Amino acid sequence: MAMRTRLTWLQEKCLQNYFGGKRLCLLYKASVQKFCEQDLLGKCWNHGPTMVVLNGENCVVGAYLREGFQKRETYITLFALRETEVSECLIGPHLPALLFYDAETSDCIPGFHIVLNEKKVTISSEICKKLGLPPQHSPMFIQDCETFRCEELLDERMTRDIAVIQNNLLQALRTYTPYGDLVPQARILLLGPTGAGKSSFVNSVKSVFRGSITHQALVGCDIDGVSDKYRTYPITYRDDGHPLPFVLCDSMGLNQKAGLHVDDIDSILKGHTPDRYQFNSMKPITPNHPNYIHDSLLKDTIHCVVFVFDVSSIEHLSYGLVAKIKRIRRALIKSGILHVVLLTHVDSLDLITKGDLIDICSCEPVKLKLEAVHRDFGFAFSDILVVSNYVSEWYLDPVKDVLILLALKQILYTVNDFLEDLPLNKQVSEEKYSNVCRKKRK
Amino acid sequence: MEVTTRLAWIQERVLGKLLGNTTLTLLYKSGVHGSCTFDMAKKCCHQGSTMTVVHLEQDIVGIFMLEHFPILHSGKPSTCVLFAFKENNSTGISALFSNAQVEINVSQLKFFSPDGLSITVHPNKQKVHLNMEVLKKLELNLKSYSEYLECEIFRVDGVKNDPSIIKKMVDVKQHRRRFLSALRAYRPSGNLVSEVRILLVGPVGSGKSSFFNSVKSAFQGHFTRQAVVGTDETSITKQYRIYSVKDGEGGKTLPFMLCDSMGLDEREEAGLCMDDIPHILKGHVPDRYQFDPCKPIVPRHVMSPPMKDRIHCVAYVLNIKSVNSLSDKMVAKLKRIRRDVVDCGVGQVALLTNVDNCDEVLDDGFVNMSESVTSQSQIKKVQNMLNIPIANILMVSNYSQERSMDPIKDALIFAALGQMLRAADDSLEDLPFEN
Repeated sequence: MAMRTRLTWLQEKCLQNYFGGKRLCLLYKASVQKFCEQDLLGKCWNHGPTMVVLNGENCVVGAYLREGFQKRETYITLFALRETEVSECLIGPHLPALLFYDAETSDCIPGFHIVLNEKKVTISSEICKKLGLPPQHSPMFIQDCETFRCEELLDERMTRDIAVIQNNLLQALRTYTPYGDLVPQARILLLGPTGAGKSSFVNSVKSVFRGSITHQALVGCDIDGVSDKYRTYPITYRDDGHPLPFVLCDSMGLNQKAGLHVDDIDSILKGHTPDRYQFNSMKPITPNHPNYIHDSLLKDTIHCVVFVFDVSSIEHLSYGLVAKIKRIRRALIKSGILHVVLLTHVDSLDLITKGDLIDICSCEPVKLKLEAVHRDFGFAFSDILVVSNYVSEWYLDPVKDVLILLALKQILYTVNDFLEDLPLNKQVSEEKYSNVCRKKRK
Repeated sequence: MEVTTRLAWIQERVLGKLLGNTTLTLLYKSGVHGSCTFDMAKKCCHQGSTMTVVHLEQDIVGIFMLEHFPILHSGKPSTCVLFAFKENNSTGISALFSNAQVEINVSQLKFFSPDGLSITVHPNKQKVHLNMEVLKKLELNLKSYSEYLECEIFRVDGVKNDPSIIKKMVDVKQHRRRFLSALRAYRPSGNLVSEVRILLVGPVGSGKSSFFNSVKSAFQGHFTRQAVVGTDETSITKQYRIYSVKDGEGGKTLPFMLCDSMGLDEREEAGLCMDDIPHILKGHVPDRYQFDPCKPIVPRHVMSPPMKDRIHCVAYVLNIKSVNSLSDKMVAKLKRIRRDVVDCGVGQVALLTNVDNCDEVLDDGFVNMSESVTSQSQIKKVQNMLNIPIANILMVSNYSQERSMDPIKDALIFAALGQMLRAADDSLEDLPFEN
């Protein structure tokens, strides 16, 4: 039998979050090792903060030892976990070994003791009341006893290495060059429903590269959607003013009826729409518009489309909007334009905390959302990226930075795939253009 | 008092990836739990597989044990992996597979193997002995008897309890390198063409376009999305595409091309038109041709296209999870394609995608498919349905959800490509002289 916790992801998460964002490291499991307190103490002695979890038939009861099993007394918090509710009862300080019933002495923690070899725990009616357990609950028979060391989810060790990763990503992205130097900058179009986080993603990217929080792209929840203009946002590194080799293009939100017109999307993709063009959902841009870009080149077109969705709204999109997005996707496929999905605000999901962001795609609620996007829209799992935008923070967070930078890196790889996939004649003509530009620069 | 490992976080993750996708849980730390084997054994026995990590002044040396940690005053044989991080290199790790005897007594923890490897940890002296063979094979520049700063022992969760798979995990990088070298060195047989064309044909959703993306990803070292994949009511791929592949970022173009086609549909007048197949095989269909399920292509050329434009190998791409439930109509379409392929003298393989447990597909030496795999019902079915020899039934797992590259997947992809190129050579060698 393997050393694996009996707790579900949800149960483990509730306990983690309740006791201050701890990672639970399984040290002892009675059903694998032995229902014997000597074995438990041997495995768990001197491991720092420790949690003893008793699995009953219908609920989980346990004890959190602030300083763990040690010679000296420690503060003990008894708890019960039912569904996602944790009730607690603070006792102590006590010698931690006294949690276990010892027939040799009368010494034990009043009202709570674990009799491991008989697979039961006795709880006084007073403590049952505090833990929200029915009084007839005692003695409670246990199916397993698991003991965990509690570690910080984001310790100094991790934080230090994340900062290294963050810096490596920053340097890789600022030195990115589009495939074959076919264009000076990658142009990335953000498409998605109103309120999905398109503009706040732009702000987040800008903030990461600037090194401080910025709010240039307007964010809000107006009825008509705040982003009703077409904006192309260059990104600069720190404050040196030099633009990075990619541009984020923000558009009006998609809507089942109003919102961005599909013909306007076509114009954006082909590079005909000028910066700051005011969208009208009833009247797409035409060549007669005074600022229409007639002779667009590859450098003016969109090189990758990013469908942006707020992760918490996926299941609430109307049937009509889903159908519209599918239509847009089919049109993109037909045009040969590559695309990915970006799920934003992942930290707004139930129980997700900062400590989860590093391995965000292995969290159960996130997996469910990825499956929903795949099922409802048909996107491949590998094409779905996950981030947490900066919304109300005052300071940057390296963990969020890394998520944003990793997503951006995938987007730029996709741009390279798009450019590499262009028909040869388009690539050749753009090479000529690039040569002309290079000569002018000299 | 917090008990945390001395390993850097990145090192911990690298170790976790050494033998698959595992998680390390710290069980024993000499600076906290006592520098004696009694404490070591008490904390680590009956925990499952363990990793003993010795932190030296600048290097880290360790031993993975597949078997349970021994109880005090005992010994046992175990599958082991010796590994080392050298001089503060956080991500570079060398590893060595070994069948060792592990013994623990009151003064030492000892690993030794018949092939001359020996490591002994003396906790009460905080010293570790590495014999010359270990130092040489792990390329360590150390005295054989060194004082250590810390000894930590971890439980390894999520590792497969199979010595054969452990060995493959350790050896996979060298085999990946070997397969890659063979592909780089490949030249089409007889120099008749400069590039071989491999046609991917199969049901909608079987992983044809995804296979191309996976091939490109394996060469690039990062995930790529050049071919659109996903699901829709009909085939996502509606155009004929001829993809060339480069040997890594900025590398040379390799001497083969993957040709991607519209998916087959069991319904009549849906999916790839059967009448298009001979034209594709003969090289009449241009890149980016838009398929129409109801109307086959009308080739413009009357003359035979040159040899280089023909298809030299056909890969029937099938999702291994769907092989046993292919409808009779789909089977009939595949058989019809096979007749055209045979008539044109083109080589053929079957490519099974979506394989689980890709660490079990090839044998220990990564030379042949393992017997447990070739006896699967899906293999028999494909063999009978398409009359393809087992050696040409290939298995891969396309990149689909991973966020990082996997050398086992790469090795399978490269091996499959190699086999396709051999099938292409067979057909080139079999050509009548007048062509």
